[in-house]
Amino acid sequence: MDQVIDKIIDTLLAYIWSPLIALETMIADYLPGQDIAALIAYAVYVLIILAGGFLAIASRNLVRAMLGLVLTFLGVAGLYLLLACPFLAFMQILIYVGAVCVLIFFAIMLTRNTNEGEESKLPGIGSAIYGFFAFVLPLGILGPLIIINVPKLELKDYGQTDTKLLGEGLITNDVFSFELISIILLVAMAGAVFLAWRRRPTPDEAPK
Amino acid sequence: MTTLTLFLLASLLLLAIGLAGLVTRRTLVGMLISVELMLNGAGLAIVAAAKCVPASEVHGQLAALFVMGLAAAEATLVLAMILVVQRRFGKVTLDEVSIIRADGSEASH
Repeated sequence: MDQVIDKIIDTLLAYIWSPLIALETMIADYLPGQDIAALIAYAVYVLIILAGGFLAIASRNLVRAMLGLVLTFLGVAGLYLLLACPFLAFMQILIYVGAVCVLIFFAIMLTRNTNEGEESKLPGIGSAIYGFFAFVLPLGILGPLIIINVPKLELKDYGQTDTKLLGEGLITNDVFSFELISIILLVAMAGAVFLAWRRRPTPDEAPK
Repeated sequence: MTTLTLFLLASLLLLAIGLAGLVTRRTLVGMLISVELMLNGAGLAIVAAAKCVPASEVHGQLAALFVMGLAAAEATLVLAMILVVQRRFGKVTLDEVSIIRADGSEASH
């Protein structure tokens, strides 16, 4: 009985996979020497980044813009996974999606700028033209430069980076940068508290 | 198209999207979102280069981690600034906020 079920499953899987394999060989004829599955995953992640980025900069509702930002962060985390850096991918999700997005959400809520705020109006024609050039000029100038000038390099190895090596790097070679970033974070937090501190007027001081 | 080129193009895409958002957004919160997009592109470029060039890849990944830490610090500071601007001007649009002075003698124009 088990053998029959196995055979049925194998047949079904063969039916599902055979078009994909045919597609892969078809693409492989056009692009020799590329890992097709990786290319498809790359295309999917770039599409996610594009969709999220468009939502983040074009949505008239800032909460939706923040959700687009989350989508973009997840796409970049996928690209990190594709580069075989799983630790960085998880740090990306933890820090950006977990911390930075919550901060941005606080900023949106504290300024009560959700739905009928200033962003709900469409940008003026001048600002739209500036935005178009700000999008096209880096792509048009830097894109060909990258394609022409960047050395033709592939991944050094396909193995995952050992997280242990990262930890050792933090306490040996890059220990100074590590301490520096800690101080920067501390100063930024203290500065934020100082800036946002609402000074209460003392009783002998007349309130404004 | 090699791996390095593809990933650098992806980070360039993030830079372009962020720049367009920075120009078109009207409020400080929207600009903060765009800056986060650009910082993400920077981190992606660093990691892609670290995985492809023959140098040690640990340095590059740690640099990307430092970029993430800087982004968190920057977001914190900008949140505080947005709070202060909101308290003083009542709005966080850039057209309103054209004066930043310490004494507060001329709060709005």
